[in-house]
Amino acid sequence: MLLLLGMSTLLAQNENQNGGRFSGSLETNANFFIRDSVIGAANIPQYDRQKFGGEGWLNLNYSNWGFDIGLRYDFFHNSNLLNPTGSYTDQGIGMWYVKRQVKKLGVHAGYIYDQVGSGIIFRSFEQRPLLIDNALYGLKLDYKLNDNWMVKAFTGRQKQQFDQYRPIIRGINFEGFVRGDSLSNWALAPGIGVVARTLDDASMNSLVATLNTYPEEDLFVPKYNSYAMTVYNTLSTGILSWYVEAAYKTEDNMNDPFGVIVRDNDPIVGDKFFSADGSVLYTSLSLAPPKWGITLEAKRTENFSWRTRPQAQLNRGLITFLPPMTRINTYRLTARYNAATQDLTEQAFQVDVRYAPSRKLSFNANFSYIDDLEGVKLYRELFTEVAYKYKRLWSLTGGIQFQQYNQERYEFKPEVPLVETVIPYVDFLYKFGRKGSVRFEGQYMATGDDLKAGAKQDYGDWAFALVEVTLGRHWTLTASDMYNTDPGKNSPEDVDGEKMSIHYPRFDVYYTTGPTRFALSYVKQVEGVVCTGGICRLEPAFSGVKFSANTSF
Amino acid sequence: MKTIKLHHLLASCFALLIVLVSGCEEVPPVLNPGGSASSEVTPVDQQQRQVLIEEFTGVRCVNCPAGSEAIEALLDQHGERLVAVSIHAGFFATPFDESNEDLSNAQGANIMSLLNEPLGFPTAVVNRRQFAGEESRQLGQGQWAGYIAEELAPEPSVRIDIQNTYNANSRDLTIEVDMYAVEDVNAEDVRLTVYLTESNVVDMQQTPEGRDANYTHKHVFRKALTAVAGEQISEAFTTGAVISRSFDYVLPDNFKDTECEIVAFVHRGGETLDVLQAHRAKVVE
Repeated sequence: MLLLLGMSTLLAQNENQNGGRFSGSLETNANFFIRDSVIGAANIPQYDRQKFGGEGWLNLNYSNWGFDIGLRYDFFHNSNLLNPTGSYTDQGIGMWYVKRQVKKLGVHAGYIYDQVGSGIIFRSFEQRPLLIDNALYGLKLDYKLNDNWMVKAFTGRQKQQFDQYRPIIRGINFEGFVRGDSLSNWALAPGIGVVARTLDDASMNSLVATLNTYPEEDLFVPKYNSYAMTVYNTLSTGILSWYVEAAYKTEDNMNDPFGVIVRDNDPIVGDKFFSADGSVLYTSLSLAPPKWGITLEAKRTENFSWRTRPQAQLNRGLITFLPPMTRINTYRLTARYNAATQDLTEQAFQVDVRYAPSRKLSFNANFSYIDDLEGVKLYRELFTEVAYKYKRLWSLTGGIQFQQYNQERYEFKPEVPLVETVIPYVDFLYKFGRKGSVRFEGQYMATGDDLKAGAKQDYGDWAFALVEVTLGRHWTLTASDMYNTDPGKNSPEDVDGEKMSIHYPRFDVYYTTGPTRFALSYVKQVEGVVCTGGICRLEPAFSGVKFSANTSF
Repeated sequence: MKTIKLHHLLASCFALLIVLVSGCEEVPPVLNPGGSASSEVTPVDQQQRQVLIEEFTGVRCVNCPAGSEAIEALLDQHGERLVAVSIHAGFFATPFDESNEDLSNAQGANIMSLLNEPLGFPTAVVNRRQFAGEESRQLGQGQWAGYIAEELAPEPSVRIDIQNTYNANSRDLTIEVDMYAVEDVNAEDVRLTVYLTESNVVDMQQTPEGRDANYTHKHVFRKALTAVAGEQISEAFTTGAVISRSFDYVLPDNFKDTECEIVAFVHRGGETLDVLQAHRAKVVE
């Protein structure tokens, strides 16, 4: 790796002489932790003793003589990104690759980010906000059969911070493109893929040792090898684009976090390994007649926990990526309750309709419906939005969101009712001068009652307001506050046992110059589920100062 | 419309077939379920490797009863060769208003800091080892049995004997821990840690069915009689050496003496905390 680093440097110095291309980027975050036990920002190493934590990624890429080479140097110093309640320190080369195209054959060695179809049977990707980096460390070959068809095959082991998991993952994927004749306007993009995973002996021995403690009725013979296969196609014709994917996984060792083991006639609910085959059906239909944009999505998931080893939990060791069936909400309160994708049992659909009768006015409505396969309600969301633009002077966006959220299932909180929220919101932007603007956001979350607890559900009602001022090309300032107007069952209590209405303020200063952006923020943030790309985890409250710097070159 | 050459298609299908067919047959692993260990205490000179599992739990942790049950199943299987301690610490350990007592304490929190904060609960540390391929000493429930089996395999380098003298009236407890070096231990920093635990503590616990006021907590960590990071042993662990330490403690009134156990384990200090041997003995035999 040092050789690769040295080579990159050397090659970069020779950039002008040889016509190569050198590029890179840097992303860093620094967190200064200020203990606040009232909101729960306490009892982790950073608040108690370390006071500082941060992480960074330096990406370097070089292309010349038909080669693409790259590496990424990663830093984690008392970082809470890997484990939100822990501290992680390490640094080193987190990723490297060498790519070469030899006529129709492409060779890619090192860390590979890729996917098959929509990612249901294989997706290696990076999500830094959740420190997911499940690149495949190995070799990939792709070959162009002709102008429209290609095949790729890969083998490797999944990345685990600066190491790799031991199980071997391998796969093959054919993809093509078929277009109708010159008089027709349809095209197909079919594909087929198979991905296999072989467990290593250590993972299997660990699994067998656990199974040996199970009652006889829960025993099964675990598999070293499991196979996931998929068939998919996109049909495009005129205003219509229709994607369909069907995936099947052979019998595999999986963990059910809601499994039931009966010992001495006493049923115990918790982690339980089981073996089953699984499937995912997914479809997405998009229609784009003039002024309209309509998207319908549906998905059925059964026993599709597809991981590098069955012992991996939460967002670790994921081979699969199951498309989320909810819209990506961006406003603070509308994004507070997120429906994490369920990999063992889920049936869901989503409808998104956009209508823009003029350039000034647009409407958007989105409905998400998620149940498990037994019909248990997991999530409902109705989101509406109206946007109006007045010349280039100002714009006003507003709407309302309705949610029902199965907190018991998504956050493992027993005996809680479906969280019900109604959130009206407004977003007003006014531009002044050549580059100046002021923006205001206001939201209110009205939460349902927890009759059993005699209080509002979860944290109760919230109000949120934000003012953002952009001054020229360089500076942006924001100030916001999230206030627990009517505290709920889980809101913090004072010494008298009374629920407290707490402010969660945030102040940001952003400075942008060319490709470089600095951000300095003072943040108090309530605990919540944070999702990125359909993968979620519970994040504890935060109190402190954040600094980030990003650039590319 | 472009067409694919036949031999390309055949080659591709053939490759796909190889991937599929190659996995149809495999020799399965051998399961050996059940088996319950003897409840007899092995004389110290015949003592085998005994493994420590430090479970981190909390009364507000809905999944922790399942973890505790998994430990009981492992104890059924391994008997005295597994030494279990349940440490109430972290986010979920805050007692309910209805709880009889706070099962967490500052020493438990310090032990968690020493052994790394877990990603989730239930979680446990086996012999304080950071196993290859794991991102932390803290292990999810599905990993305990495998690493316990791995740690049970070697012969012990140290054997431990615990002799308790207890006066039920005064509640004075004197503990003598004898450490027998079976082989040379090549480590600069070897430590002894001694815990007091209590089983069958009935108190509130969150369960998937709701709060259970009559939940029976087992192996509850009560007190470290040494420093949390262990007491460094100055004598060399050379083959045949016998090293002793004694501790005096007055059992608090709220600890039920017949349910209390002394847990002693010898381990490395510094960066590597690996446990060499663990042992437990009842306060009242």
